[in-house]
Amino acid sequence: MRTSAGPRRRRRARLPFLNLGAAILVSAAVLYVAFFPAAGLPALGAAFNPSTGAWTMAADAQVNDQTMRLDGLQRPVKVVLEQDGTAHVTAQTDHDLFLATGYVHARFRLFQMDLLRRQGAGRLSEIVGKAALDTDRFELQLGLLETAQAEWSRLQPGDPSRDALLAYAKGVNDRIDEAVATHQLDAMFTLLGYKPKHWTPIDSLLVKGDMTQTLNFTDTPLVMALLNKQLGADLTSEWFPILPPNVQAPYDPGPYSAPKVQPIQQMSQPQSILDGAQPLYDRLASLPQGLVARGGASNNWAVAPAKSVSGGALLAGDPHLHLTLPAIWFQLTMDAPGYHAAGVSIPGTPVVLIGHNQHIAWSLTDAQNQQTFFYVEKEDPGHPGMYFWNGSWNEYKTLSFDIPVLGETTQHVKVRWSVHGPVISERGQTTSVWWAGNIPSQDLSVLLNVDRASSWQEFRDALRGWFSPTHNFVFADDKGNIGLISAGYFPQVPKGQPWLPMPGTGEYDVAGTIPYDDIPQVYNPPAGYIWSANQRQVTRNYPYYIGTASNFFDPGYRANEIRRVLSQPGKLSAIDMQALQTDTRDFLAGEIVPVLLQTLAGSKLSAKESAAMRLLAGWDYRMDIGSSAATVWSVFWSTYVSETFRPWWKSRAVHVDMDEVSDALGQDLETWTLHDPGNRAFSAPGVGSRTAADAQTAAFHKAIAAISRQLGNDPAKWSWGRVHTRELDNLAQVKGLSYGPRPDRGDANTPLAAGDSPSTHGPSWRMVVDWGTHTFQGVYPGGQSENPASSWYTNRVDAWWDGLLKPMLSGDEAQSAAGVKTWSLRP
Amino acid sequence: MRIYATVLLGGVLALTGVLFGFWWAPFPVGLAVGAVVPRARAAVPISGAIGLLSWLVPLAAAHARYGLGPTATSLAAIMGFDHLPIVPVALTLMVGVLLGLIGGWLGSAGRAVVASSARVDATRNR
Repeated sequence: MRTSAGPRRRRRARLPFLNLGAAILVSAAVLYVAFFPAAGLPALGAAFNPSTGAWTMAADAQVNDQTMRLDGLQRPVKVVLEQDGTAHVTAQTDHDLFLATGYVHARFRLFQMDLLRRQGAGRLSEIVGKAALDTDRFELQLGLLETAQAEWSRLQPGDPSRDALLAYAKGVNDRIDEAVATHQLDAMFTLLGYKPKHWTPIDSLLVKGDMTQTLNFTDTPLVMALLNKQLGADLTSEWFPILPPNVQAPYDPGPYSAPKVQPIQQMSQPQSILDGAQPLYDRLASLPQGLVARGGASNNWAVAPAKSVSGGALLAGDPHLHLTLPAIWFQLTMDAPGYHAAGVSIPGTPVVLIGHNQHIAWSLTDAQNQQTFFYVEKEDPGHPGMYFWNGSWNEYKTLSFDIPVLGETTQHVKVRWSVHGPVISERGQTTSVWWAGNIPSQDLSVLLNVDRASSWQEFRDALRGWFSPTHNFVFADDKGNIGLISAGYFPQVPKGQPWLPMPGTGEYDVAGTIPYDDIPQVYNPPAGYIWSANQRQVTRNYPYYIGTASNFFDPGYRANEIRRVLSQPGKLSAIDMQALQTDTRDFLAGEIVPVLLQTLAGSKLSAKESAAMRLLAGWDYRMDIGSSAATVWSVFWSTYVSETFRPWWKSRAVHVDMDEVSDALGQDLETWTLHDPGNRAFSAPGVGSRTAADAQTAAFHKAIAAISRQLGNDPAKWSWGRVHTRELDNLAQVKGLSYGPRPDRGDANTPLAAGDSPSTHGPSWRMVVDWGTHTFQGVYPGGQSENPASSWYTNRVDAWWDGLLKPMLSGDEAQSAAGVKTWSLRP
Repeated sequence: MRIYATVLLGGVLALTGVLFGFWWAPFPVGLAVGAVVPRARAAVPISGAIGLLSWLVPLAAAHARYGLGPTATSLAAIMGFDHLPIVPVALTLMVGVLLGLIGGWLGSAGRAVVASSARVDATRNR
């Protein structure tokens, strides 16, 4: 017994040390996860503590009357915030207006602004890790940062846009300093564990570059190259023509002046250069949404006083973009001695992009002309690191970038530039890209001048300097004038097939743009109305190449429907404008369904198919939530496209996603169904000899079977809302902070655009202006604040969803409105 | 009585620290409590309670002032726990408690080692 007492004592003596060791280990582990991010979690202590962590978003969500000092102000500034968050900035100097606008933007949207500048600068990996590395590499290759730096360096002291950018950056930085000092940074900064760096003018130019990329950096020439190789040059040229095969509604019908720039002389080029398209196409296809433009969808129109109930000009605009929370737009009015603009701005930029001032109103849609050209560089092992251009060997310019990656080592990227632009693929063939977004331009200066314009002449003169993205700018003024102009760069090449990658040896280079007086435009047309919806703006008589029908331009159904409504006899009011913005009539269905019904009248149908056919027969072609016919139409049309073209894709082993070219194929199918039912396309290899009617019948059977499988056997219960939803995506891709999916009306062809399901693109801002009554209305989906705990995060969604508009008050009206909050900003 | 006084004093210190942005204050306070209170069975829970209080009071104050419902819901969504706003609240309080607990434990364990060494020295000297 006594012999065991010694070891027990020794064990007991060791216990305190073991306890201390365990305490040290556990403490170290707890302190580690409290201080440092681990296992995908933020640093728990810093992120969740109640005083300075993410909980401060509760305090940030409160907006009260305040008096505060802002460094850099010259005079006092007043900011009135309406009950719904609309901001009215009134300053005594232009400098203070931009400074206060920067402060207001940052107060409500700092995280969004930081994401936007990081995207353009290739710095997302720094905060989210290697998941964003491909995006960062691509952005640095594409050259947004280079372009923004070049644009900034060209702004001379005294230039109004330079002063605006500097003052705006100062305002943003005032807010960053304030938020850091008071622990009021947006919760996403806290959760991601970083603080935003100070804002610079280049950041604002990067944000503008992001938007340009989203709207007009396209991969279409690569798609066309693959189709050429895989589907065959014969079918590609037939099915994807330069001019649209269907009947469209160009807004500028001509006559056109004789061309002042020589049109393309010889539309041929060596086909061997198309071999390297696949790897680059695959790479671009793998990039996140928004980095490559995939077709556009926006509407705008104006109505002259002669057709207006109020006797004044009417203007309506609804740009369609990726619908996010927070939205891309921030609504405000900007009042100072030099500026009186109201409308929506993009956080990160100091201007009203769409809106009105005291005399004019404007909105925009994407013009869709080709602004991206791919060049295959000629290289030779005997001249390493060089490319052949204009008869001699030239060295690439090389740029180096570091990409800090969260949790990983910093990556290094080298980007080579040829005379055409950045090299974006070296797999197989070296391909560089000429992109209009890379031309250093003074687009911000243009927008500031637009904000100050008071007539068509000033508006048009201001837009002369606009480069990219090309937009259809619609105009209406207080004197009853209306106009539409597709301002921007319209690149021209002397020879070749610009809708395909071209040789980079010099002969096929972009040689200039269409002269400003010759770009599409109309002013006070006799019809008394103008419209654009991404359709080709000009007829087949237009002497210049501006892009192919296939993918650069919209198929034209929204434009056709808008023109159909505007051209009805009688006068139009602001309420009619509002109704047209939420119009759900599918123009294509209106053309095709009568033909289909005729075809089905002679076919043997089951009871269910007959019931579905009766639904179509009684349908008004509106894609409404409760409409079962809308479901039948939609599924039928996509099945009809597939029934016609899928066998070709299969037999010729085409690796281009058919969805990516469905607009083009749809135009063909529409045309053949209406005018050429015996087209050879219906008789694909393996399906035998068929006509349009045969394909329609087969597609209808398949469509009804597919719907039955998904929605049951009762056609009365096949409502559109059961298969078609819309969703507003949270910008940080936090699913729980998104809105929806929720059943919604419309489709890709309706003025109320809602393609796909869930549809994530659509009218990002709706505005209606009536100069006769001086009423201005607008709404966007979302809210002014990016803080999900704020009542201004989604407070506008319901009104937008219901198709309602809200009055756009002037600064004076807002001051006397109920429930406003006022910030007095002092120097 | 001494225990209450310790909780009160430690709680005030930790709370002051947290309010000034030193969210880790419960840890050193717990460390001190563990070093001062002779029994670990008392020191560790006291430290945990101090941690809880020093994080709970500011949270409750923020709730009373602003209402934390939307914030808790948003944080739950960000964390992937949609419709469970209790999760970020529980996590927050847990971090506060843990900071206090480990402080208390570490302090007590250190104290025990010191005491044990002192006993060994005393035995040897005897």
